[in-house]
Amino acid sequence: MGKKHETPLLDELKKGKWISFVKEMERAAEKSERTEDLLGQVEESYRDKITHWKHGGMAGVKGYGAGMVGRFSEFPEKYPGVKECHSIRLNQTSGFFYNSDVLRKLADIADQHAGGLFNFHGSTGDIQILGLTQADAEDLFQKSAELGFDLGGSGSDLRTPSCCVGPARCEFANYDTLQICYDLTHAFQDELHRPSFNYKFKMKFSGCANDCVAAASRSDLAFIGTWQDNIKINQNEVKNYVKKFNVQKYVLDKCPTKCMWFEGENLVIDDSNCVKCMHCINEMPRALKSGDQKGLSILIGAKAPLVTGPRMGMMLIPFYDVHEDSKNDYEWLKGLISNMWEFWDEYGVSRERIGELIARVGLVTFLEGIGLEPTIDMVKEPRSNPFIKFEDEEAGAE
Amino acid sequence: MPEEVKKKRITDVGPHDYHDYLSPMIKKNYGKWAYHEILDPGTMVHIAENGDKLYTVRMGSPRLVSSSFVRDICDMADKYCGGYLRFTTRNNVEFLLEDEKNVEPLKKDLDKLGYNVGGIGNIVANIVHTQGWVHCHTSASDASGVVKSVMDELYEYFVEEKLPSKVRIAFACCLNMCGSVASSDIAILGTHRKPPKINHERLVNLCEVPSTIAACPTNSIRPEMVGDKKSVRVNEETCVFCGSCYTVCPAMPIADAENDGLSIWVGGKVSNARTKPTFSKLVVPFIPNEPPRWGKAVQAVKTILEAYKKGAEPGERVIEWIERIGWSRFFKITGFEFTKYHVDDFRLAEATMNYSSHARF
Amino acid sequence: MTDETKKKLEDKIIGLVKEYAGKKRFKPIDIVKEMEKEFAAEGVSKEDIKGALKEIMDDGKLVYGYAGGSFLALPE
Repeated sequence: MGKKHETPLLDELKKGKWISFVKEMERAAEKSERTEDLLGQVEESYRDKITHWKHGGMAGVKGYGAGMVGRFSEFPEKYPGVKECHSIRLNQTSGFFYNSDVLRKLADIADQHAGGLFNFHGSTGDIQILGLTQADAEDLFQKSAELGFDLGGSGSDLRTPSCCVGPARCEFANYDTLQICYDLTHAFQDELHRPSFNYKFKMKFSGCANDCVAAASRSDLAFIGTWQDNIKINQNEVKNYVKKFNVQKYVLDKCPTKCMWFEGENLVIDDSNCVKCMHCINEMPRALKSGDQKGLSILIGAKAPLVTGPRMGMMLIPFYDVHEDSKNDYEWLKGLISNMWEFWDEYGVSRERIGELIARVGLVTFLEGIGLEPTIDMVKEPRSNPFIKFEDEEAGAE
Repeated sequence: MPEEVKKKRITDVGPHDYHDYLSPMIKKNYGKWAYHEILDPGTMVHIAENGDKLYTVRMGSPRLVSSSFVRDICDMADKYCGGYLRFTTRNNVEFLLEDEKNVEPLKKDLDKLGYNVGGIGNIVANIVHTQGWVHCHTSASDASGVVKSVMDELYEYFVEEKLPSKVRIAFACCLNMCGSVASSDIAILGTHRKPPKINHERLVNLCEVPSTIAACPTNSIRPEMVGDKKSVRVNEETCVFCGSCYTVCPAMPIADAENDGLSIWVGGKVSNARTKPTFSKLVVPFIPNEPPRWGKAVQAVKTILEAYKKGAEPGERVIEWIERIGWSRFFKITGFEFTKYHVDDFRLAEATMNYSSHARF
Repeated sequence: MTDETKKKLEDKIIGLVKEYAGKKRFKPIDIVKEMEKEFAAEGVSKEDIKGALKEIMDDGKLVYGYAGGSFLALPE
């Protein structure tokens, strides 16, 4: 089949050993004139060194303010197939588990109603289908919904929550990341589909401090698995590891708090000084396991640079007993999240992420607003300046 | 809308229940995995408390894939693992096999189809990235093309374990950072270098002035009447070319074919293992866009990776290596120039100064 | 909330978006805050206002726009 547009620059990206997205686009273009035109426009960007997508223009499904991202070509006459080239986000499954049956059905939907192109997955976690027009939106949405796949988030809403593989296939999981992600996503459907926040709000769930979904760097509310009691040691397995590699050098010496040592051949851990960083467990998974009192830490405020600079998630709740709360459908947690959103609604300004709001009003003000007490794990160290704002009644009481 | 049509519409059903897509062995051993072993960079096995073994074969993907790709992986999953598969957060495909005998045949079949098996262990992981010129209106560069060029060059590090620890590379095509650039071992970031060009004719109709002003991290936007039209002025002395204003105001395009390009960052880390999470730090402030293969950017990434490979101790992530040897030696070893652009002058700049007499000579 | 109040509330919301079209972009939260003040005497709650907004959007009388953040807009 002859190519509709010559793409000499993109053709260079069909060479090499790594799988080629250009070949993927060409495969889609075999069935989709839209994607043929998409190749033409991208080639033009490669030639001009600039994007050729316009800014603005509305796209969406009725009643929802999220889940579909409008994209319009700068050259609709030249590339009529991408005059509209929107993408739609489908809420992925917890842990990104699928079977062939449902993926084939989604592939059919993408061929029939869009450009036969996907992102598996978008940065936040959604399945993205690319190359639909506004006229396709309703059918694509409803057919996906019939398969049980609702749209994901976009705009100033709760973005699609996402979680790690968790207990489905990982021995490190300290709580059921898949279940809580699924439960909260369902509980907050309105906040996800109908943007009503000051700006986006992300939630991600990692089963341990390895944080495979980058929750603490990418989500306003990060849930990181941890435990409160002692690491469980299998001394025989420790001995096996000692035979295999230098445990002293690569495990004990790398412990951030030096809370472990050998007494004879036995490994000893001062768990009161363990910060649950996961290093020793990562290195010796057969010998060491997290304790029985499992739960999670909640970190708040991570975000990308815009507008006031990047932020890493900071400790809000060192230990949340997720197992206990799961028996009540996470009632306590849902209440806490609602309190945060109310505070943010009340005091936040447009495009201010919750981390930026906390930085602006101060952590203690935020904590008072949502009904939490400050604790020492929330800070790296106590203040080192004397500019203390004593409250009147305390001063008066002396 | 007629009432009966309204009723039939499906809304607010949320995500599909993941239980429907868990293989029988996963359902049986949910939460009961004992440990795992990496057999090679494309294969690992998870052993359950009861001795069940689940084999995972991991395959790279360009993230932007066709429906034919989806059907390919479905065929493979049907042939070898009962149709069960998953994706990773870094856009890999994972086949979940209950029968060890199927592992090698699957890998051979994937190889025949031209797919890349690897990405587990002390490797260069698949690059998380953004849309670029394929789908984004604010991008300062393409995404998929840079990623493809880097992965072609670093291919051996995806399929073989040759590094001291894992290296996570990320790409984002602008400062919005839809990719996880802020905390990656090596990060490539699309970067503008000129202030937005204001279309005063269209601004009043397309933009809301107060939110446009509020979008600026350096307070560089002021309201201004241009002729009889409400518009804004940008203080070019203080503008940092972030493109935030363009996001809220389509009449302030910032993309510029001659001045856009890439910057390279290093030393970000998400995991809490050993050391706390860190942000990526600037190494190369600017490399021009060089489509289709971005030779200089690819070379810069390779220079960093090879210096790390040579210098780091087993188990050290990039930032742990750099903090051990010091930033001055990192710049010396890699040959990158330290410039005035490397000195932070934004909100938390003070925290990055060297409050000590420590220096390496 | 009576049907009459609800109608008044819906008209007020749509009217506000119309009146300020091209001048100010109302986020849903702005509308909720405005209407809470406006309808305080009628005992209209935050949830009532959110419900009214949902119905307005479901009927397509207003749509969501996006420019760096989401806002309410008139259908094109």
